[in-house]
Amino acid sequence: MGFKISYSKFRYYSAVTAGKIVSFVLRKILKSSASAAPGKVAMTIYPDILRVVNDRCQKKIIITGTNGKTTTNNLLTHILTREYPSVLSNLRGANMPQGLVSAFLHDRKKEYDWGVFEVDEGSFERVTEHLKPDYVLVTNFFRDQLDRYGEIEKAFQDILESLESLDTTLILNADDPLVSNFRKLHKRNIYYGVTQNQYSSCQQGIVESRFCPACSSYLDYDYYNYGQLGGYQCPDCGFSNPDYDYQITEINYQDHQYHYQFKNKNQNMQDITFAYEGIYNAYNCCAALSTALEVGLPLDKVAHSIEEFEYHLGRMENFQFPGKIVKIALVKNPIGLSETISSIFLDEREKSMLFVLNDNPADGKDVSWIWDAEVEKMNNIKNINHIYCSGRRAEDIALRLKYAGVPVELVEVDDKMDNAIEKLLNEDVEIAYLLPTYTAVFQARELVLARLEGSGKKMSHIREYLKNLKFPGR
Amino acid sequence: MELKIYHMYPDLLNLYGDLGNVTCLRQRCQWRGIDVEVVGFSMNHEVPLDEGDLFFIGGGSDRGQNIVYSHLLKYTRMMGDLIEDGAPVLAICGGYQLLGEKYIDADGNDVPGLGIFDYHTRSEEGRLIGNIIIENSLGLNPETLVGFENHGGRTYHDHQALGKVKVGYGNNGQDSEEGMVYQNCIGTYLHGPLLPKNPHLADYLILKALERKYGLKELSSLDDQPEYAAHEKVLKLYSP
Repeated sequence: MGFKISYSKFRYYSAVTAGKIVSFVLRKILKSSASAAPGKVAMTIYPDILRVVNDRCQKKIIITGTNGKTTTNNLLTHILTREYPSVLSNLRGANMPQGLVSAFLHDRKKEYDWGVFEVDEGSFERVTEHLKPDYVLVTNFFRDQLDRYGEIEKAFQDILESLESLDTTLILNADDPLVSNFRKLHKRNIYYGVTQNQYSSCQQGIVESRFCPACSSYLDYDYYNYGQLGGYQCPDCGFSNPDYDYQITEINYQDHQYHYQFKNKNQNMQDITFAYEGIYNAYNCCAALSTALEVGLPLDKVAHSIEEFEYHLGRMENFQFPGKIVKIALVKNPIGLSETISSIFLDEREKSMLFVLNDNPADGKDVSWIWDAEVEKMNNIKNINHIYCSGRRAEDIALRLKYAGVPVELVEVDDKMDNAIEKLLNEDVEIAYLLPTYTAVFQARELVLARLEGSGKKMSHIREYLKNLKFPGR
Repeated sequence: MELKIYHMYPDLLNLYGDLGNVTCLRQRCQWRGIDVEVVGFSMNHEVPLDEGDLFFIGGGSDRGQNIVYSHLLKYTRMMGDLIEDGAPVLAICGGYQLLGEKYIDADGNDVPGLGIFDYHTRSEEGRLIGNIIIENSLGLNPETLVGFENHGGRTYHDHQALGKVKVGYGNNGQDSEEGMVYQNCIGTYLHGPLLPKNPHLADYLILKALERKYGLKELSSLDDQPEYAAHEKVLKLYSP
């Protein structure tokens, strides 16, 4: 017995050491931002390491769903960190088991007040085998990386089955019929959502599931906010949005900022300003707010933390260059790309854009998703100087733009991202939008930062090549 | 000149960018000054099938495909007559399987298809996923067709194949054949979507439709530089 314990301890410490070495080599020598590899190595040596993470966190929250996980996770962690001294979180978006372990290796403590983790839909089952959440927040289900999951139905069926045995509170997006259908598990359910507002529409091009998740009839919609998120009811079985516990009731866009009116369970109103564009961010903001209030934090403090939030991860992140702003927004699935294009439409400044489309395993090897996005909305955007296309599949996004009716003379292909960024930054515009897929986002960010700091000007193509080879983050 | 493109069950059969095929057909007609009407045909929108000049059937989830099957059943004969008469049809993945006799699911149960063709599809262990490159049997230039396949079913038949598999799996991952051609009906597992990166195949379908309707023998050419650049990129990245 004694031997066993010390052997187990030995394995644990070996795992931690090995993970740390990998992390050091990646960060310091390869200058890589790969965040999953150290965890992967540690888990190979000590497969139970997630259980250690579970034991060290007093309370745990898991965030899952298709879109908005990383933003909601960062926002919620930011709020909790202001009230609690130690919060563990995988903030960089590495959301498979190894990503969670990497976050733990990076910031190893004996005890945490909170563990807040975003977990990929496909990893939910493997994570919750070891890590038992007190709260599970489900954002939405859209089609994403179908080359991994096969079909959208499969992703939420797997999560539904894993949830059955968990003793947890569910925080659910009431406006997504696929998510609100989790009510049938009869857990303690908390619902959040965004009511009809001036940006709601009566028509929606992409609807993931037009059919009632309860009885398969055609769902009726009063309005859409974002994809299949909106006000729905089933004419046959009565399935509809559950009553909100927390809601955003009004949205206004002014001076490149969003202003929300938020209502809590006691119908108390609070005005909130959020610097990040898009209706999807109203949902992310509402999700983080609802969870923070549900765990007992006061409304005014939470609202204040949200207003101070700053993103550093290439999700609508701003960089101020002399004479222009560079804005990076990750795009990785049809609905995300459609919504990003819609939010750029509100910006009437003189602009240029750069799409970076990669097809590495972490991006999804199938780039056909760009055809499911409403790229046609690009034609509504005013004052576009140039649209650059880059990445491994630069030609595919250029072709998508052509068939969307975007004038070909606006579009230029350069599959070397370094060169394309250089061209984008040399554009005489007020704002430059850089829209990379997952494996390009950190690299694009580093290239922009290097120019901003005036150091290192250009990464060599060798390093860029190395980075494309390295371990995917999810 | 005017073409009616029928998009079959756009609300139920639309996976992996299938919509891009319809966009491609429509645009390539419009760029040539051919009037186009895209007609959605579905459960809540039944329109006379025989008025269609070009038909597109996409892929769907198992659930979507089952709903479509029970609805389309009453149109089987009409669909068969249209194909026999030379109407161009492009059926992808689930749509391709649907035209056959049956689908044998993972538990060995027979799920009936429309039975327009005598082939069958069997669900087997593991999905066939990845970039695919084939050499077409239609005599089109260039010889290659590129796409992305993602299917659990394996289709077995003795008809003419759409092409020989150079990279990827194709119909069943065994006989190096991909797709099916009968008259002007093409069944295939190539998503991607198929047509934008293979404009020679898109134009083949458009010409067949115009030939049937107006006796046209040739299409005017377009500047396909971006199309073939994307086509070439797949060859460059994924050729052996």
